[in-house]
Amino acid sequence: MTSGRLRGWQSTILAYAGALLMFALTSLYSPGFAAPSHLRSLIVVSAFTGIVALGQTLVVISGGIDLSVPWVLNSAAILVTLIARGADAPLLWAVPLVVAGGALVGAVNGAGIAWAGIPPIVMTLSTNTILQGLLLVATGGSPPPTTPAALQMMATGRVGPVPVILLIWLALAAAATLLLGRTVLGRYLYALGSARMVAEFSGVPVRRVSMSAYVVSGATAAFAGVLLTGYSGQAYLGMGDPYLFTSIAAVAIGGASILGGTGTYLGTMAGALALTILTGLLAIFRLSNGALLVIYGVVILLTVSTATPAMQSALAWAGRRGNGWRRHR
Amino acid sequence: MPAALRGAGPLLAPGTILLGLLVLLGSLRRGAFTLDELNTDAAAAMTLILVAAGETIVILRGGIDLSVGGVLSLATAIAATRGPLGGWQMAAWTVAILLIGLGVGVANGVLISVLELQPFLVTLATWSIVGGTALMVLPSEGGAVPGWWVAAGAGTLAGLSLAVWLLAALLLWWAWFRRTRLATAIRAAGSNERSAFLCGVGLGRMNVAAYGLAGLFAALGGLFLTSQTGSGSPTVGNDFVLPAVAAVVIGGTVLSGGRGGLLGSVLGAFILTIIGNVVFVLHISSYWQPVVAGLILVLSVLATSLSERVMARRAAA
Repeated sequence: MTSGRLRGWQSTILAYAGALLMFALTSLYSPGFAAPSHLRSLIVVSAFTGIVALGQTLVVISGGIDLSVPWVLNSAAILVTLIARGADAPLLWAVPLVVAGGALVGAVNGAGIAWAGIPPIVMTLSTNTILQGLLLVATGGSPPPTTPAALQMMATGRVGPVPVILLIWLALAAAATLLLGRTVLGRYLYALGSARMVAEFSGVPVRRVSMSAYVVSGATAAFAGVLLTGYSGQAYLGMGDPYLFTSIAAVAIGGASILGGTGTYLGTMAGALALTILTGLLAIFRLSNGALLVIYGVVILLTVSTATPAMQSALAWAGRRGNGWRRHR
Repeated sequence: MPAALRGAGPLLAPGTILLGLLVLLGSLRRGAFTLDELNTDAAAAMTLILVAAGETIVILRGGIDLSVGGVLSLATAIAATRGPLGGWQMAAWTVAILLIGLGVGVANGVLISVLELQPFLVTLATWSIVGGTALMVLPSEGGAVPGWWVAAGAGTLAGLSLAVWLLAALLLWWAWFRRTRLATAIRAAGSNERSAFLCGVGLGRMNVAAYGLAGLFAALGGLFLTSQTGSGSPTVGNDFVLPAVAAVVIGGTVLSGGRGGLLGSVLGAFILTIIGNVVFVLHISSYWQPVVAGLILVLSVLATSLSERVMARRAAA
């Protein structure tokens, strides 16, 4: 019962069950919560958190943390609107360029962490601060032009009943799950996160593997920034700030250990959904922003404590007491 | 290395940076080294110094405390909603606020030890919980602390402001605290948990003590901040979390625990504060301040990490 892989699956299932339960309870209280239009908007909002959290998942699995996502996201959002100037045509090269820029910031993070030995918290915090300053200097604090129509379509459009962004999210999720589960790089990421020295002695190119996680994180944060500009119709300073907390929280709720070595992207997706449903409670129960923050914190504490050894042994004890739901393993 | 300088090695880098910034400031502006300037700079840096002091102890233990942001906000929020209160009532509330800070810290320590949770996640969660509580106490910036409270914050004693006296008291406290059994045990637990445990150090108690002190210092920082601004803000603490970690790290305390001290963090906090002055005097956009701060953070850590690598190589040779 103590293998990391099994624990990972249990917490993924737990995260989905929690999200579903919350959704069901809220829908009972307020039937409009489950209406198709509201469901769609929940999914769209979750997608932004989910996409930022994709890179964060890889980084956390590898045993690091990326605090630079807020201003990578914000820089990408502002740059893409500045380049496109409201027109659709430049997007064809502007979006790849901006995502590559995010990957470049990730590469700088990864280089500082993997080669220079700077602690991840310090390195990514610094790039975050530096990007924030550079962006303020570059824009002079004034708002950039509005977003091109094509971007707005990507973020808010639909194919039949399905939001376009859900399709994008699912495609990215499939890619991330394949990467983590079926590729050598994926195995290396888990190996690096669970025991760095063992990985190094086993021939894992730890530096390159660690760096690649940050590169992906930079790219997904930038891509989320591009999409978010389409959603809000404009890029603005500070738009990335909430995503520092939510991206880490989604990963944690999804069952990854912040010390690395465990976690799945499917779990993170459940975390992103759960966080968005929680935010939805704000409107329905007329909760203040403060109350929401308190609930956020309590949910994080509860979910991370289910994955601890103490709680695991309590669960195992409960299981032995005749609760058969996990005996078939 | 002369005996007097041994042990001051980690302070060399932040000391040099601070000296460089001060020289730069002094050559650009007259009156950079007056008593007034000391009073102003100390007042500007003091909130960060107090938060960083608590953070230092937690980082020495090998942990990290993000909840100090929430505690700082909550302290200003509570203080600012007690405006009309007179002397002894405010004194009681001051004690209450400090106890709340201590309580949050103790809760962090207990959660981390008893449930064996990771400090980063526990304090991220309690940051959210306590910060949310601050928003419920004081929904938006404002409120007022008693007038005499602000007067005390602006007053001077023997030409020195409250901040300078507080700083002196803090340094004296540290001179005593760093030699106590508790501080030694915290440092031991931070540098090698297993050997510390085998030497009879109670790891759980060390967590409770370290995070408790961090909460207490954050609350003290919040109280000091209200004496400067005269009002409260339910979100102000969020702007201090990462700078506090940065000040500790620039000051030479190692994030993995065990090595460092409060003196370095004070230097780090002054560096981060004085960068703002330098940018202002240079007449360049204040937007450059975070860029310079970020670069100094990376470079100082890079310097530490590289010099350690060179030392290790020399020791191996």
